[in-house]
Amino acid sequence: MAEQMWRVVAVFRVVTLAYAAVLIIRGHHSYAHPGAGFVALAVMCAWTAITIAAYARPRGRQPWLICADVGVAALLVLSTRLIDTGSRISAGAPTIPVSWAAASVLACAVAGGPVAGLAGAVVISAADIAERGALPQSTFSNTVLVLIAGGVGGYVVRLELRAEAAVDRAARREAAIAERERIARGIHDSVLQVLALVSTRGRELGGEAAELARLAGEQESALRSLVSGAPADRPGDGLLDVGGLLGPLGNLRVTVSCPAGAVLLADRPARALAAAAGEALDNVLRHAGADARAWVLVEDDGAAVTVSIRDDGLGFAQGRLAEAAAAGRLGVTQSIAGRLRDVGGNACLTSSPGKGTEVELRVPRG
Amino acid sequence: MSRGADPPPRVLVVDDHPIWRNGVATGLEEAGCTVAGTAGDGAQALRVAAATRPRVVLLDLNLPDLSGAEVTRRLLAADPSVRVVILSASGERQDVLDAMTAGAAGYLVKSAQFSELLSAVRSAAAGGVVFTPGLAGLVLGEYRRLAAGGDPAASGPAPGGRAAAGGNAPSAGSGGRPGAGAGLGLPAPQLTERETEVLRLVAKGLTYPEIAGLLVLSPRTVQNHVQNTLIKLQLHNKAQLVRYALEQGIG
Repeated sequence: MAEQMWRVVAVFRVVTLAYAAVLIIRGHHSYAHPGAGFVALAVMCAWTAITIAAYARPRGRQPWLICADVGVAALLVLSTRLIDTGSRISAGAPTIPVSWAAASVLACAVAGGPVAGLAGAVVISAADIAERGALPQSTFSNTVLVLIAGGVGGYVVRLELRAEAAVDRAARREAAIAERERIARGIHDSVLQVLALVSTRGRELGGEAAELARLAGEQESALRSLVSGAPADRPGDGLLDVGGLLGPLGNLRVTVSCPAGAVLLADRPARALAAAAGEALDNVLRHAGADARAWVLVEDDGAAVTVSIRDDGLGFAQGRLAEAAAAGRLGVTQSIAGRLRDVGGNACLTSSPGKGTEVELRVPRG
Repeated sequence: MSRGADPPPRVLVVDDHPIWRNGVATGLEEAGCTVAGTAGDGAQALRVAAATRPRVVLLDLNLPDLSGAEVTRRLLAADPSVRVVILSASGERQDVLDAMTAGAAGYLVKSAQFSELLSAVRSAAAGGVVFTPGLAGLVLGEYRRLAAGGDPAASGPAPGGRAAAGGNAPSAGSGGRPGAGAGLGLPAPQLTERETEVLRLVAKGLTYPEIAGLLVLSPRTVQNHVQNTLIKLQLHNKAQLVRYALEQGIG
């Protein structure tokens, strides 16, 4: 896209050169020094050729050349005082390069953005005003136009570059997703099937085979969540699927149940829910006993999203919070509650001895 | 584990992966089931089922040719007494729900223990519904979606495709999602408070006896509540398909 902008600058330069040439050829009889007028035209032709050739390649767009470009244009504007007559100038005759001088401003804008564009425009405008020795209405309009061209031109170029970068990022992300899908298909067709079978049949055999089956099962669920994991960021709407975030928590001991469709929440509450659920599950693994299993249920009733984490572990008696605190459970529970309070939700804990523990996390929709 | 009175169920194993297919088939035979056949894709499954008349079809959702919902619909159209049990990897929630509302009798994840798979086959053969916590979560979510007016983007089954013009049952199958009732003017089915309560407990991993103890009901009543929730969804789905077919002038 930036390349196209440079081509626009080149076209603008040629067109404005032709316009300046027509004015010089038609008006040279009235100049104080007609020969000098043609010298100026020759300089403009040569400079147009040089800059077009140089700007065509990225290496040719050196800052010093762009500064020289503005300098040449400003000198040509000032040369009007030497070439034309004072009376014509005060009567509002155009400068020698006319709008050709603005091409250097555009070059600044394309190369350096709005600030450089404005700086170039200030130089050219200053030359314009110095050439007139005053600020009549026509020069004032010209000045404003040049300033706008420099500022807006630079801004548009910046926008273009940013859009280009965004498109590039999107293309990369798409390529990454495609690659993951390709790997996912391959894994589905081989590794996962074998691991699942070993896990399913091995546990029946007991002993060492059961241990191998357990390992195979863990690897299977880890691999599966790796290849089925949706990209975490969905640009645009800023919403996240709570089910998608919690799905990878599932394994042989943890069952995650969700609605079929996406359960969408804003980024922050969705991540808070997922983090709190993860903490609650860690808690289960640590305190509920080696054989405890856990179930995660995601519900969406429109007004709020609720995530329940229940385990069938040891549990503890309600009202024996001191004991729970001693066992390190209370601190975790408070941290979970804190995460949810931060996003306007709440957490509640129920437990009884021998009946496991249930944590219910609830986040209302803002 | 086999109950003396019941004859061993005849099972058809459908999966596109040979290692899994043969491993499961061998396991089922060792456990006393009869493997009526195996199939690697949906079309083959329909042919083998027509030839061998299995009681239970263990159906993988990831088939190369047809969707799980489509295979389920066609299997049931050919033989309404067949019991389809869906096996799937995790992360295929919509596909599982589609197959269940199309009439499947149960759903297990592939990482389930083999003993769970066996008891699922046996209870499906005996006419029961295999209701896992994951399925309870899907069903709860589906009732809430229908109550909220559904997803307007998905209202009505996608037309076209394999039309049921010559079909002998309401298999207006296009493989598409039947979508919301709102789009077709059918009232959305609703859960009673008790059904919601029971489903939530199933989704949280409680067994029927545990739920029965908690709610002071008989385990049989709990099971009826659970099965009703699925049957209501399946009837709603069927009614939608029939109405869609009538509106399109197929009926």
